[in-house]
Amino acid sequence: MITLTAIDRVQAFRYAGMQAQPDAQLSAAADECEKRLLSAVSPRYAERVYPLEQTAQGILCRGSRLVLTGKDIAAHLEGCSHALLFCVTLGEGADRAIRTAAAQDILMGLLTDAMASAAAEQVCDQAEAEMLTRLPDFHATWRFSAGYGDLPLALQGDFLGAVDAQRRAGVCVSESGLLIPRKSVTAVIGLSDKPVEQHRKGCAACNLSTTCPYRAKGAHCR
Amino acid sequence: MTAEVLFKSGFLMLDGGMGTMLQAGGLEMGGIPEMLNFTHPEQIQAIHRAYIEAGADVVYTNTFGANRLKMAKTGRSVQEIITAAIQNARAAAKEDTLVALDIGPIGQLLEPTGTLSFEEAYDIFREQIEAGKDADLYIFETMTDLLEVRAGVLAAKENGGGKPIFVTMSFEENGRTFTGCEISAMALTLEGLGVDAIGVNCSLGPVELVPIVQELCRWTTLPVIVKPNAGLPDPVTGKHSFAPERFGACMKPYAEMGARIFGGCCGTTPDHIREAAKVIRAMEPAEREVSIPAAVCSANQTVVIDMPRIIGERINPTGKKRFKQALLEHDTDYILGQAIAQVQAGADILDVNVGLPDIDETEMMQTCVKAIQGITNTPLQLDTTKPDALEAGLRVYNGKPIVNSVNGEEESLSTVLPLVKKYGAAVVGLTLDKDGIPKTAEGRFAIAKRILERALALGIRREDVYIDCLTLTASAEQEGVMETLKALTRVKEELGLRTVLGVSNISFGLPSRELVTRTFLTMALHAGLDLPIINPNTESMTAAVRAYRLLANYDKNAVEFISHYGGETTAAPKPAAQSMTLGEAIAAGLGHEAAELTASLLKEKSPMDAVNEQLIPALDKAGTEFETGKIFLPQLISSAAAAQKAFEVIKQAISESGSGSVSRGTIVIATVKGDIHDIGKNIVKVLLENYGYTVIDLGKDVPCEAVAEAAVQQKAPLVGLSALMTTTLPSMEETIRQLRACCPEVKVMVGGAVLTADYAAKIGADFYAKDAKEAVDIAKQVFGV
Repeated sequence: MITLTAIDRVQAFRYAGMQAQPDAQLSAAADECEKRLLSAVSPRYAERVYPLEQTAQGILCRGSRLVLTGKDIAAHLEGCSHALLFCVTLGEGADRAIRTAAAQDILMGLLTDAMASAAAEQVCDQAEAEMLTRLPDFHATWRFSAGYGDLPLALQGDFLGAVDAQRRAGVCVSESGLLIPRKSVTAVIGLSDKPVEQHRKGCAACNLSTTCPYRAKGAHCR
Repeated sequence: MTAEVLFKSGFLMLDGGMGTMLQAGGLEMGGIPEMLNFTHPEQIQAIHRAYIEAGADVVYTNTFGANRLKMAKTGRSVQEIITAAIQNARAAAKEDTLVALDIGPIGQLLEPTGTLSFEEAYDIFREQIEAGKDADLYIFETMTDLLEVRAGVLAAKENGGGKPIFVTMSFEENGRTFTGCEISAMALTLEGLGVDAIGVNCSLGPVELVPIVQELCRWTTLPVIVKPNAGLPDPVTGKHSFAPERFGACMKPYAEMGARIFGGCCGTTPDHIREAAKVIRAMEPAEREVSIPAAVCSANQTVVIDMPRIIGERINPTGKKRFKQALLEHDTDYILGQAIAQVQAGADILDVNVGLPDIDETEMMQTCVKAIQGITNTPLQLDTTKPDALEAGLRVYNGKPIVNSVNGEEESLSTVLPLVKKYGAAVVGLTLDKDGIPKTAEGRFAIAKRILERALALGIRREDVYIDCLTLTASAEQEGVMETLKALTRVKEELGLRTVLGVSNISFGLPSRELVTRTFLTMALHAGLDLPIINPNTESMTAAVRAYRLLANYDKNAVEFISHYGGETTAAPKPAAQSMTLGEAIAAGLGHEAAELTASLLKEKSPMDAVNEQLIPALDKAGTEFETGKIFLPQLISSAAAAQKAFEVIKQAISESGSGSVSRGTIVIATVKGDIHDIGKNIVKVLLENYGYTVIDLGKDVPCEAVAEAAVQQKAPLVGLSALMTTTLPSMEETIRQLRACCPEVKVMVGGAVLTADYAAKIGADFYAKDAKEAVDIAKQVFGV
């Protein structure tokens, strides 16, 4: 059961492009956005563990149609016998809260959107912790998402099918490969009965690596 | 087939999980079970047969996802798949087995969260319904979006040859579906639409659903369906936890509550159904006493008319030049602003009147209903004199609205009431007829009675008829004021109907209007008014209703009253508006102050001078500070939002004086086809508008050709396109290609998280704007101002 009581402000302001300490007025606006957003979201997730099988096309999650393709995911899952697939979402309420805020005031829209992005990350962290405690026999990698490196967004449809995401979390994929509701995330965690080497999650694996404003200044987002 | 046939034994037994049986037989997760209708008909028939042998009266065809979107890549048509599935069910059916065409969610979320339009959803369901004409009934299951269900039910009602329609939705433990739909809203809406049975399936196990079904039983007179999962699936094995016997035993409390139709969803097998049937068949059907209150709803919010509820009247162009201008310019943002302000001020329901001689009211009503429902849960009252516009609004309304209005004239009764019945709305009856408004309370009461009788004859519930005894202006017809209130009390007490009244007219032509109106409102509430139509933004009016709710003992322990008026009385000190300049207010992001300062500035300066001498220099300063890293995006936006409020005052002044415009030129902007991330585009829009450009905002997920058309039609020298995702960049490229083909002289600027200057050049854009500030610089360059 995911509960969200406060949103990570530092991260939210970062997503909103605020690279300095927010003043009292911005903080007050953020308070208001946070209050409304928290009452609008219904965080939840759908998950499933699959045994992995190497095929000519890529790594098959056996028992589903999902084939994970590309060299980056292969490296990520090296030494893993299974994968935990999951999809988290803040629910349609977050989309609605962002729309309402933006219709009222564009600043509120921007802040609510950024808050929701930060909240989605928090929900991922919570969901991951909750799921892994139910899998005590496995060692786990960090989570890897479609769009990182060369793992294509085009596999979102099969990914959602593998965790029955529409039925269990109310998440769909649009024709252009976007997850809807918008504040939804899919991710793969490799599972192994032996400790796995944690390749550090770096900029190279990020789909914003070419346009990242932090990277341009030689900095990091985290 | 009639309801009696359906319920020959008092209960109806449905089947259990189809997907569960197919997965046990080797179907992969995410596979397409509908194809097995062709490849393994014997397997499908065997599953149907097993359920029938276990005791199912009804089997669901293997067509849960058999819609044109999900079947697109199968190489089979919807008609072929559904025909084969029905044949398989018939092959297994006994003589008295009913075959239900199973229809699951489309698999795409509807607008505005998703990209599927209501009309497209209707057409997808229509195709399924028509392909399934050989089934005995239609069942929509595992639904989470009430709007999608409405599209399906309307498609089945209008194309299904009168066959019964069942609907089950999936609720979570918080009593809502994934899209936030309430149980009461589902019941009010679907019973209104004339569905034959409603209930719940999937999501939860047979124990967790108890409170959900209890609540549902309170809100509907229809037969209630219960089709739970066999518990929740294990993440590793995917197995469900309830054994057949335990599952069967769980059916008993539902039957005792009065549920009449039973089955199983994910994880259930013929053994589960056999056990459930055993338990049910040993019981007598329980009768339910249900009295459904007068209530209206959106999908996410039910408003019960059990105390005075405020209907906000501000979405109405009558006497408002700025509102008329917004309608003429299709400026829905302005209308949404009016909606939000009223809800925040305390409106329980919003009246929506968008009638203006020079606009297509039908199209506007539909656009506004969709847009307003996209940003607020508050139920709506559709206010129009045009039946076409009324039906257009009713069709897309998500929930149960109020229709404003019908009157005692024959033409009105015979056109409006059938629409109210078809779409399951509540209706306001005005006590006037061809002879006008009767002078006396008796005359108005008689018309109210006539309207009620006609409504009841059509099958509209008494609780859904609200009567408006009509307020006359006190300055013109002083003796009529008390007649209105007398009529109101009689309607309420003798006919037992809810009453509604627009009160603002009372004070027309008098000094101290607010005082007169508020006093009349209080008198009317005491006379029995349930639904005052007021301007909730006038604090004293809303406060009068809240005080009345307190004094009349509706607001128990004054909880609501204290929450509004019992808080801190000393707000944080704010800088006095008069002591700062407009530029300072904008720099500090103080919208309220910026608006005030603009209003006083306009006493000395022309709107154009105010823009050029104050607004733009202030924005330029903020822009420069942003560029040099002195301030950051939220601070720039904060200034832009304050400037937006100042600009709104200027627009208001211009539309009131009728003097030209301050536009520096027209720019068309859009978030490209397939992309729904529009916050960046919206920020660009606000900044461009601040600088005095007229921005035609086409919204998000905009078809390539629509951008090209708009550019031609608006003769816009500049078009701005945004895309956030790598997957939607191809549609940006295609949009540019189409723009080049039809208006080669147009300049195109592009922006969005994944874009780079190089990529922008590669796809043929003239400019790459890395942020909103740069978009303004580009506009200045293109327009020369």
